[in-house]
Amino acid sequence: MQKIEVNLYRYNPEKDRFPYMMSYSLDKPKKDIMVLDLLNMLKEEDESISYRRSCREGVCGSDGMNINGKNGLACITPLSSVIKKNKIELRPLPGLPVIRDLVVDMTEFYAQYEKIKPFLQNDTEAPLQERLQSPEDRNKLDGFYECILCACCSTSCPSFWWNPDKFVGPAALLQAYRFLADSRDLKTAERLDDLSDPFSVYRCHGIMNCVSVCPKGLNPNEAIGEIKDMLLKKKKNIIVSDG
Amino acid sequence: MIGSRLWLFQRISSLFLLVYIIYIALFFVNNNNISYFDWTLFFLSFETRVLTSIFFIIVLVHGFIGLWTVGTDYLTPRTLGLYSSFANIADSLRKIYQAFFVLLGLFCSISIIYLIWS
Ligand code: SF4
Ligand code: SF4
Ligand code: FES
Repeated sequence: MQKIEVNLYRYNPEKDRFPYMMSYSLDKPKKDIMVLDLLNMLKEEDESISYRRSCREGVCGSDGMNINGKNGLACITPLSSVIKKNKIELRPLPGLPVIRDLVVDMTEFYAQYEKIKPFLQNDTEAPLQERLQSPEDRNKLDGFYECILCACCSTSCPSFWWNPDKFVGPAALLQAYRFLADSRDLKTAERLDDLSDPFSVYRCHGIMNCVSVCPKGLNPNEAIGEIKDMLLKKKKNIIVSDG
Repeated sequence: MIGSRLWLFQRISSLFLLVYIIYIALFFVNNNNISYFDWTLFFLSFETRVLTSIFFIIVLVHGFIGLWTVGTDYLTPRTLGLYSSFANIADSLRKIYQAFFVLLGLFCSISIIYLIWS
């Protein structure tokens, strides 16, 4: 029977002074399984292994991790697509503090999400049933609303690693654009003002790691480009109206 | 607003740098066998002096903005936390680093302007 070798990042701050890699050997599964299934098999052997998971179908975004060097959702990543020479290495999402094994502290990530005010702002009187939007305006949100906040993108972004408190990061910037592009949201100018410092948006250097890892196939870099466009047009308007 | 300004300045300044490089390249293309005399004459002309002065000032400001970005990426308590003894002094290190480049920039601009116009 062929074997596969799993190298797993282990860290339990109550016991370990430093994180370390632990190697496990398993019989190679006969059919292709997902990386999450592999973790579940390991956990049956060693129940101290910790990771997050919930929906096991790429919807909840809780099992983002670094799989053979690339961020992804374990539950929708087939083992065959990542395994190299019967070896696989699993580590927590990079750049965030590790709570235990593959579980990271997402506080900084959510704080950025909160910062962009991820809700519709419209203080005009609410119509009887709903705020209508033309199909064309609705189409503008496609590709920007489907994010499941798995953090695979932001934690693969060097700019987010260096300044997670100041650079909003690809995930939250994608959301920011989702509300900037929404015809029903009336706080566009304020939203842009909040993003116009040298860090929030402009720390994106177009490295594109975010695009290459998004398990939902979204393109945060495109959203960032649109935001920069809006910011520059706004600046131009101010210059024109000033004089 | 300052973010957009810096971003725009970096793009426009690099365009100007390109224009200057083309200006210099044209001098080479249009004159073969350039003598020391041609070269001196070219650099003593008013247009070249003005363009060269603007060129160097823009290079220095453009460079400083770039270096400031590098400093705020790599010289922070977070990034230097890896070498934990540096984490506490990271902000001061960055200030020293910035001050060094400001002084270097001032020194360079004064010497260059002096060279061009004397
Ligand atoms: S494109 Fe921007 S946001 Fe995406 S990984 Fe690169 S620097 Fe980060
Ligand atoms: S944009 Fe993609 S990678 Fe980033 S958090 Fe959303 S779903 Fe995850
Ligand atoms: S477990 Fe929900 S996305 Fe993987």
